[in-house]
Amino acid sequence: MTVVPLAPVRRWISRTQSAHRERGATLSSLYVGVLSVAIIGGMLHRQVAAIFWPPAPDTSALAAGSLIAVCYGPLYLALRRFGPLALSRPAASWLLPAPVSRRRLLLPSLRIAGIVAVVIGALAGLAIVGHAAPRAEAGDEVALLVAGGGLIGLTLLLVATAAQAGGRWGDVLDRLAGLILAAGLAGLVTSTTLDRPRTIEQWPAVTTLAPIVGVLGVVVLVALALVIRGLAATPSDRILDASRTAGTLFDTAFGIEPSFLTDMIERRYWARRRLRSTRLFPRLPVLVAQDLLLTLRRRSRLLWLALGAALPVLLGGAPGWVLGAAVLLGCLVAGLTAAGNVKTDAGNPVLLRLLGLSSRQAVLQRLWMPGVLAGLWAVGTLTLLDLLGNLASGPWWALGLTLAPVGAAAAVHRARVGFVRNELLPLDTPMGTLSTGPLVNAVMGPDLLLLGIPAWIAIGQGSLSWTTVLVQAVFGVAGARFYLSGTTGDDRTELSH
Amino acid sequence: MDHPAVEVDGLHVGYGSTPVLVGVNLTVPAGAGVCVVGENGIGKSTLLRCVSGLQQPDEGTIHVFGGDPGATPEFWRAVVTTVEPPTWYPGLTAREHAELVCRAHGQDPDQAGVDEALERFGLGGHVDAIPPSLSSGQKQRLVLAIALLRPSSLLILDEPEQRLDREGRADVAGLLADYVAGGGSLLMASHDDSFAAASGATVTTMESLSAVTP
Repeated sequence: MTVVPLAPVRRWISRTQSAHRERGATLSSLYVGVLSVAIIGGMLHRQVAAIFWPPAPDTSALAAGSLIAVCYGPLYLALRRFGPLALSRPAASWLLPAPVSRRRLLLPSLRIAGIVAVVIGALAGLAIVGHAAPRAEAGDEVALLVAGGGLIGLTLLLVATAAQAGGRWGDVLDRLAGLILAAGLAGLVTSTTLDRPRTIEQWPAVTTLAPIVGVLGVVVLVALALVIRGLAATPSDRILDASRTAGTLFDTAFGIEPSFLTDMIERRYWARRRLRSTRLFPRLPVLVAQDLLLTLRRRSRLLWLALGAALPVLLGGAPGWVLGAAVLLGCLVAGLTAAGNVKTDAGNPVLLRLLGLSSRQAVLQRLWMPGVLAGLWAVGTLTLLDLLGNLASGPWWALGLTLAPVGAAAAVHRARVGFVRNELLPLDTPMGTLSTGPLVNAVMGPDLLLLGIPAWIAIGQGSLSWTTVLVQAVFGVAGARFYLSGTTGDDRTELSH
Repeated sequence: MDHPAVEVDGLHVGYGSTPVLVGVNLTVPAGAGVCVVGENGIGKSTLLRCVSGLQQPDEGTIHVFGGDPGATPEFWRAVVTTVEPPTWYPGLTAREHAELVCRAHGQDPDQAGVDEALERFGLGGHVDAIPPSLSSGQKQRLVLAIALLRPSSLLILDEPEQRLDREGRADVAGLLADYVAGGGSLLMASHDDSFAAASGATVTTMESLSAVTP
């Protein structure tokens, strides 16, 4: 088969597209982008400095090791989730089936992914060094460690690229990356509970670091050459999948509509699963049984949720109100784990009509599973905080139970929100125009967490009485009840407000 | 007093300045079937959407069993429509969708004959599949299977023969004929006269329903 040279085709596409753009449109976009980064960087430079290079090292050796897993694990998982090799949607439609060199077609994608992986890897390396290493003159060591971080990023990209073209071992590796991330989070939590954690006292010698980084660099370069050589073997279906993901990601960014991406991930997850029909739990109301079945089918989510119950411990040193807010937000996330069916019904009520249930019956039943998960999560996290001494002794487990209706109402409210309303009037502020649609969308759901104000105050103060538990219970149940009666009806099926 | 299943009088619907339905009158007696035929774009689906209460007409009255079509749960317990394609629940198999609908209507899935219905619609080998993974014809059969499984008094079906093979059409037509013979009412739109006749419905054209041809 004759292979058509790709470069002239790309030049023609670029020239034709440029002809349809306004003169200077690309330069203008670049200018706006650089200016935005400069303004945001100028505004947040203190916070950025605190993230990457705090005035003094503030983490233990265990936390530093855990941070490696927490930084590089998600990087690998993100690279896998988004490809890493992808084409634009038009290129996937027209150039992928064309008789052009597959390697040359995919090289730009590898180049961009490589730059991103190296930059993120190097920044992660800088941040870990900045938090853990002793403050001493050590320019060469820092440079070597940051370079090592960049090389780790590139290594992860190469592994992810090979996994994209490879077989089932890629899935095993994904699970392993998930486990490493979980271990990293567990390590971080553990490090906050140690009385005298070991710290890193001195830099590793340049004579040790330089050969390691050098060898790693050579190995990575050889692996890169091998990956480029085998680039043409990447199966088309994997590239198409990644291209759809990239397209959806752009849609999400431009439309400020996260549901595009989350819905696609959800669809793909279930398309990969092999299910066996089972009987819906006959003793439970039908929609509760359905939510329970869906929750049990996503056991890995439940495990992450259980692990997540320990994360507020990381905020032990933060102001009390931050810890309280984190616990309430955790309840919302826990509730949302079982709110997928509400989202389906809110988006399209066809199945609710087929079920013949009123919106009140439906929402009442849909509140149960999010409530159970939110309550259990809150009990777990508050008990842990109590045991570790972050909170003064008190009936915190009972307070967790009273947060069940709060988490349930907030999660169901969030799941019923629907698309971002971009037609809402923008607000003119001294900092520029603010789009209100995404803002309104973002607060719907978290706004009902205000029902947990008594608990928030109690966690903020670090002390709890049974009176507060009782007040929170009344607040939560009455609020959820009011939400149910105020936003649903016995005379309609639609869940949209 | 017994009301007709569907009673449409002087229905006017337009999209912008384009009239689609002009003075449409239609009666579907209770326990009978009516099939509306006509070319694409003549307004069959619009008529069914109005009767289902999913679209407001510009003028005219519609009564379903003597009441207004609407969004009430009582209406949807009596009426099943396939005018709109469903969005399937995530993580629920074809069989579980059927069981869910049966249980929501207080039926025992075994007594309602969920497995038999799926088998009859050629979905016996796909009970564990999630509906989005089915072909368009299989999804259409699943919708019809569920629509016929749950109790109802009126079926409003938009081209139920679409995406079905010849054998499937004959089977579905037979089931619809049984539904009407069992006392159910049927209003459907179709392109297939022989399918309409086999399903026990009286065939009528859109032109004959309209007082004025648009």
